[in-house]
Amino acid sequence: MSIASPEIDERTDLRASTSGPWQTVVWNDPVNLMSYVEHIFRQYFGFSRDKAHRLMLAVHHDGHAVVAEGSREQMELHAQAMHDYGLWATVREAGS
Amino acid sequence: MTGSGLVMELTLLEAAHLSDLVSQFEDLVTSHDGSDPAVRRLTPDAYADSEAAAEFRRLTEDDLLSRRAADAGVVRRSLQRDGRDLDADQLDRSAAEDILVVDLTPDAAGSWLRTLAALRLVLADRLGVTDEDQRGDGDTRFGVYEWIGYRLEMLVQALDS
Repeated sequence: MSIASPEIDERTDLRASTSGPWQTVVWNDPVNLMSYVEHIFRQYFGFSRDKAHRLMLAVHHDGHAVVAEGSREQMELHAQAMHDYGLWATVREAGS
Repeated sequence: MTGSGLVMELTLLEAAHLSDLVSQFEDLVTSHDGSDPAVRRLTPDAYADSEAAAEFRRLTEDDLLSRRAADAGVVRRSLQRDGRDLDADQLDRSAAEDILVVDLTPDAAGSWLRTLAALRLVLADRLGVTDEDQRGDGDTRFGVYEWIGYRLEMLVQALDS
């Protein structure tokens, strides 16, 4: 048994939680290879080959694509993972 | 392919040049120089709103660059021979075309993917690449940029097959 103790090593976020959902958006760039982007979408998100290919083409032709929707925290984790792979990803509120 | 991962084959000369680039890349990402446009490209704004972007950067940038350095270290060490970095200037002419076989675990393959892609981003910044169909105007680094792209493409194909 343990008694409740305050978690002071965690950042406390007092921002009002918004209704969400939030989105992770991947943007086109002139450097990353199409095959690489598709591979990352498959490997990281577990998308099917078809879905990964479609999203990759959307990034390439439309300039960006929404690759995930959900809580803000989860979308920030996805954005960090995309940055790890060198893809340019942003987080935004759906509908914004 | 082996049971655990995949195998990459490079000539010692290729491996030595790549090792040198990766070592420079480690210096770059451990500099944490946010005024360097290549470092900025590796740590892009995650929000359109500049205040939210700055906050996200403050919370995540150092960790991201540390992961970059760790990945680069994995790649550089996988190119070592007898526990030492290869040096293109020290290579015997006759040994330059010898093949270095690099055995990659799935984790190491991830480090390779991220590092090769990041090296291209850095080179693209130095070369001023703004268009995907751009070809270099005699800058020898452009050949290196394309060669890394070729290596990355091969790696992706091997992982997807």
